[in-house]
Amino acid sequence: MIETTSCIDHHMSENEIDKIDIQILRLLQGDARRSFKEIAKQCKVSADTIKNHYNVMIKKGIIRGTTIVIDPKQLEKKYLVFIGIQVTHPYSDQILNMVKRISGMCVVTRAIGRYDIEAIAIQDDIEKIGITKSTISDFQQVKNVDVDILVDKPLLCPKNFELD
Amino acid sequence: MDADKIDIAIIDALKKDARTSFREIARLLKVSPDTISNRFERLKKEGVIINSTVVIDPSLIGYSFITRFGINVKPAYSAQVLEKIIQLPSVIVASKLVGSHDVIAISVVKDFPHLCGLRDTILEMPYVEKVEVGMWIETMELCPHYFLI
Repeated sequence: MIETTSCIDHHMSENEIDKIDIQILRLLQGDARRSFKEIAKQCKVSADTIKNHYNVMIKKGIIRGTTIVIDPKQLEKKYLVFIGIQVTHPYSDQILNMVKRISGMCVVTRAIGRYDIEAIAIQDDIEKIGITKSTISDFQQVKNVDVDILVDKPLLCPKNFELD
Repeated sequence: MDADKIDIAIIDALKKDARTSFREIARLLKVSPDTISNRFERLKKEGVIINSTVVIDPSLIGYSFITRFGINVKPAYSAQVLEKIIQLPSVIVASKLVGSHDVIAISVVKDFPHLCGLRDTILEMPYVEKVEVGMWIETMELCPHYFLI
């Protein structure tokens, strides 16, 4: 899995993660429930070594936690939507805070590009998506709101983050 | 406790910590660990649980910001493009989209040359017609367990 060493050495000094850390992250990215024993076997070190590396990465904040990714459509028949908002400048944090308070918001961010504010939200049904869109549109300073619906299940990159 | 409640309790526990042992969840719910294990496998098979993964802080491993790519593709080729996009390292999550774009990809980015490289790579993919870029600043996660960023 790890082919080049020079590259890793570079990362080691810069980001303070080593070859074993990278292997642990790679294996857990694919399945966070893998046991330390199983990871140890693949890395050809002891399970305690893996456990120590894991705990250090937790302590440093490199690993923020482990989670499962669920398909909201399957579970609750809900929709994931992307919302792009264009506003008239200059704009205050008021709009950002207003968007944040709308129910179902997962991620809200300022953005540079076509939109000034971008958000990702979980919505119950198409009707709710319409209400959310008009709530945002009604706000002063909001020029335009685009809503895109995510279809099928969202895919996770199998090797997200270039670690090596 | 009815069937759905057990499923929801399993999902809630694993969302907070995917490494929670089935034994511990079983003890909390007062059912057998085998029940939890069977339910977990079924939830995976049914596609409710897509995956379990580790949440890494990108800022600590050399990434600076998050970028969203809104991609327009030749009609009916979304699936092919999505398949290619999801193979790109740095892309956290991608999905088919209905609206002004056909595919959405959210990626962590190291710096501007990296961003330009990613954009060019996507543009050069077959069937891709247009790529729109939105760089995220001051990103707030309101519900981190729902959408993986």
